[in-house]
Amino acid sequence: MPPTSTDQTGAGPTFTRSIAITVRQPSKLRNLELFLLLVALGIAGTAIALVQLGVNGSIDVGVLIQAGALGMLALGMHVALRVVARDADPFILPIATTLNGLGIAMIYRIDLARGDSGWESLGVRQMVWTGLAMIIALGVLILIRNHRVLARYRYVAMLVGIVLLLLPMLPGIGLTLNGARLWIQLGSFTFQPGEIAKIALAVFFAGYLVTARDSLSLVGRRVLGLQLPRARDLGPILIIWVVAMAVLIFQRDLGTSLLYFGLFVVMIYVSTGRLSWVLIGLGLFLGGAAIASRTLTYVEGRFAAWLDSFNPEVYDAQGGSYQLVQGLFGMAQGGLIGSGLGQGSPTITPLAESDYIIASMGEELGLVGLFAILGLYLLFVARGFRIGFNGTDDFGRLLAVGLSFVVVLQVFVVVGGVTRVIPLTGLTTPFLAAGGSALVANWIIAALLLRLSDEVRHQPRLVVDE
Amino acid sequence: MSELTLLVLRIGFLILLWAFVFAIVYALRSDLFGQKVRRLPAQNGASAASAPFAASATAPAAAPAAAAGPSAASATAVTEAVPAARKQQAPAPAPTPTAEEVAAEPPARRLVITSGAKEGMELELGDDQLTIGRSADSGLVIRDDYTSTHHARLMLWSDQWMIQDLDSTNGTFLNSKRVSIPTPVPLNTPVSIGTTTFELRR
Repeated sequence: MPPTSTDQTGAGPTFTRSIAITVRQPSKLRNLELFLLLVALGIAGTAIALVQLGVNGSIDVGVLIQAGALGMLALGMHVALRVVARDADPFILPIATTLNGLGIAMIYRIDLARGDSGWESLGVRQMVWTGLAMIIALGVLILIRNHRVLARYRYVAMLVGIVLLLLPMLPGIGLTLNGARLWIQLGSFTFQPGEIAKIALAVFFAGYLVTARDSLSLVGRRVLGLQLPRARDLGPILIIWVVAMAVLIFQRDLGTSLLYFGLFVVMIYVSTGRLSWVLIGLGLFLGGAAIASRTLTYVEGRFAAWLDSFNPEVYDAQGGSYQLVQGLFGMAQGGLIGSGLGQGSPTITPLAESDYIIASMGEELGLVGLFAILGLYLLFVARGFRIGFNGTDDFGRLLAVGLSFVVVLQVFVVVGGVTRVIPLTGLTTPFLAAGGSALVANWIIAALLLRLSDEVRHQPRLVVDE
Repeated sequence: MSELTLLVLRIGFLILLWAFVFAIVYALRSDLFGQKVRRLPAQNGASAASAPFAASATAPAAAPAAAAGPSAASATAVTEAVPAARKQQAPAPAPTPTAEEVAAEPPARRLVITSGAKEGMELELGDDQLTIGRSADSGLVIRDDYTSTHHARLMLWSDQWMIQDLDSTNGTFLNSKRVSIPTPVPLNTPVSIGTTTFELRR
């Protein structure tokens, strides 16, 4: 630059019309959340009222008041967010509330069809669990003020995850339901510890991969354009694979096994950016699944029901495709706009309130309603990935991606199973399906995402955009 | 309850569901993730371009500042001041002040954008580092065709702001000279990243 051009802008702030930047507008976010939350509560309330109109032809105020109490709890959570996480993402709470409310309405609808009431009815239990889950989520938000604290406890998280996974195997408290040994029973109280284990494992994976990713990503030979890891770096993925296979064999649950393994593969891919890990992971899992489908009878049955659903022999067989086909019939009956809440007959399908709640929704809300629900999941997960993408530290980024992926993988496995895209595996539909442990786990995931997003928003100070 | 009422309610409910989905999508449109762009009034860019030029005679001569950017290029006296993005083809031999020359003074507290889309904006500098780049997690986010995701960072090393280029594609220019190692940034000296130029001031 020639000297003639000097001193152009050295004149000071008077001439550049400096403007100080004030960035944070937290109340705007929270007000948006309040608006969306009120709409969400409106949707949930309307759904319950429509169920009552459809089944009984009249409105029962008692149930609406119970649901209203839950709505107050959701509003309480919103108020708490204004204090403890002012910059948190404004979409997560309304989306979770909507899905949870729709789930309660559908479970309540199935109770009405079956004539269940009181503590025996799943709808009442679901409401109690929702309340409990929201309170626990609130506790998580208040206790964990900084997610980096979690990184410190990554090995504790690993231990907790493994213990929770193994808990159902203990004689005495372990409980086998529908062939899968995933529950523990204490008195009349049953719980599925694996649901909480997935959060603990996500924390551990994030913490572990932050420290280990250099050796997992940088070294190795290139073969055919793929950077392959060294043999010794294959240790962790093989351990997780063995754990997943153990779940498959001893707890007899394909879905959970797929969830843990898929979670690890995705997190290792996100942290290293190496496609080879995905290929190794997919190869290992497909290999394992192929062997399992030949040797384990229940997996074999699932595959037969998936590939040959409409064969009368498979349809009538014990553990055959009866449930799957009934679910498909239900969704076909629903058509484009559904039979209307309370006006279909979802109870024909076994487990219409938990594993098959998607089919029940499809029957009564139709394709249009089902796609709205899937759209809500999409938005929820997109927010989670966004939080991860904008994260300030690698641990937080990985954790947000991992937690979101837990949700997305469950949705894919359940919806894919019900719609016969993949073999049916028992996983809970997040927020929708009946099941207390899953609700608690998913609300904790929502709380952690809220906490992570609160810290993200402090970051950019000035944006120069073309 | 008649069939028709139930049908209307049923369709109304589906519409409500989708309205909720679209309300969220609509709210996401501006992506509230702290990336809101604050535009200055339109006439501001023009006045900011002419004002420093008029004042150049009275400016402190100690600061070897070189103005660059579209607005300065329009001024007759600076025919060679081309937009920052093209500068890398014409490396200029301007001397970069050494750390000794500038370290004696207290550190700069403000970053002022002197040319580019956000000309005239300023940012308070803290004690922390300031990351610059296209990615949304940068402290100063610059989105143009020339900026890399993690482009550069300003670090405070013993009361002196240093600029470090984070291996960016199009480079970071301190006083028109490409930065390769962490380099001290004197006051009132232009630093160019993409089409944006800023200076540190007290």
